[in-house]
Amino acid sequence: MNKQTLFELLQQQGVSRRGFLKYCTALTSLMALPASMISTVAQALESARRPSVIWLSFQECTGCAESLLRSHSPTVEGLIFDHISLDYQHTLQAAAGEAAEHAREQAMKENYGNYLVVVDGSIPLADPGYSTIAGMSNLDMLNDTVAGAAAVIAVGTCSAYGGLPHAAPNPTGAVSVSSLIKDKPVINVPGCPPIPTVITGVLAHYLTFGSIPELDRLGRPKVFYGQSIHDRCYRRPFYDKGLFAETFDDEGAKKGWCLYRLGCKGPMTYNACATLKWNQQTSWPVESGHGCLGCSEPDFWDAGSFYKALSIPDGDYARAAGYAVASGVVLGAAAGFANQKTKSAAVSQHTKVSVDDFSLNQKDTNK
Amino acid sequence: MNIETFSSQTLADIKVQVESPEYETGNLHSILTEIKFSLQQLLEQKKSHTIDLRAMPWSPGEERKLEKYLGKGEVRTELDALGKSIFYETSYSGIWVVTHYSEDGVIIGKSIEVTYMPEMLFSQYEEVKDSLERIKEIERIEEIK
Repeated sequence: MNKQTLFELLQQQGVSRRGFLKYCTALTSLMALPASMISTVAQALESARRPSVIWLSFQECTGCAESLLRSHSPTVEGLIFDHISLDYQHTLQAAAGEAAEHAREQAMKENYGNYLVVVDGSIPLADPGYSTIAGMSNLDMLNDTVAGAAAVIAVGTCSAYGGLPHAAPNPTGAVSVSSLIKDKPVINVPGCPPIPTVITGVLAHYLTFGSIPELDRLGRPKVFYGQSIHDRCYRRPFYDKGLFAETFDDEGAKKGWCLYRLGCKGPMTYNACATLKWNQQTSWPVESGHGCLGCSEPDFWDAGSFYKALSIPDGDYARAAGYAVASGVVLGAAAGFANQKTKSAAVSQHTKVSVDDFSLNQKDTNK
Repeated sequence: MNIETFSSQTLADIKVQVESPEYETGNLHSILTEIKFSLQQLLEQKKSHTIDLRAMPWSPGEERKLEKYLGKGEVRTELDALGKSIFYETSYSGIWVVTHYSEDGVIIGKSIEVTYMPEMLFSQYEEVKDSLERIKEIERIEEIK
């Protein structure tokens, strides 16, 4: 743990008190905390020390790291990265081979009990040879590194749930971090990739409060994964009125109607895309006209076609829509629950995508 | 286009535009209600309130509609710390729109502040103390001369 506080570091860089408050304002918003918490965040950061972070990449595509590192620095994400001590990340660090591994071991030794471990990628158990670093199996490196960690952040769906490597038939025996690490707090930050501001929001929370945020049943921070895409979707009023796009180029699609019947997985997906958005807050999949794929949920690769509509619990949609606004959230939640079951069935059968899934006539899929 | 030009481009440079029909989430109404109660609170209890505009879903154009309703008032000021921040009082006294930008012009925070004066515009206590020390130092140098 670096001895300098964040405030001291910012001062050294010539950042004024107002600049520091601005930084705290952006962080508070990033952590989805109410604006009344800005002064609390400022007080906490004045005395916060830079945490050491060791980033391990296992069976992954580097998309999660790209999501974060390509996020238009110097934004808040850039600032956060400036204010942690990233002591090991084998894709980014200049050192290679033994020097790189030495950096990891040294960071562990110097910060034992206090450093954070970020993991992207799943861990193969079928044969350690599927993925090794410096001759060490991913499992050995994970266990070795996590031993002295304060907490582990599993970034991306692969490390949170196994992700694409875990998809049936799972040839490498890929598993998630949380299925292996039971004696340390594990924070899951799923998504394929996760929203960069969510990754940094979790780091910022630890940086600010020295603790992990409140988690849901799947180990995800509730501030970012507490509500479904569906419940926060700006197209939700159309769902409530029963107005759906039936194809990607029909009149409903042009008018921005709900994409539910085109396979949107919003009702069963918990993530913050609808509010945080992507690419400098330009847009997000639903705003760009494509349904949510459900990438922050376990086994989304095996959950059937991305273009197959979910079912809703009550077939008499017109009647349900009559209670639209008042019952909207309940209906959405019920639909989400019903479709969790459908998804489980699809996972067990490993439903494959066929050309029929891209059919322009999706009317029957809702029955 | 050479590599150097390409690498320095941002989304704004390549003119990405999201074209969506105008429709509403209903959050505009909720915001106006929150602003109304905050103004009452400011008048009666002198209590300021901030609404984080990035914490809620908006349909494309809804935010622009809100800004159009609120209009622009007499005061507009710019802060230059870790990138620009623009503060302006709307045509409704006591309602400010605050936008924070990063050093490369990306919006990193946007809020409505219902207050007599946004907190960040006041001179900061620690820096006023520092000013006093620096003035004393100048005074000392002048005495030596």
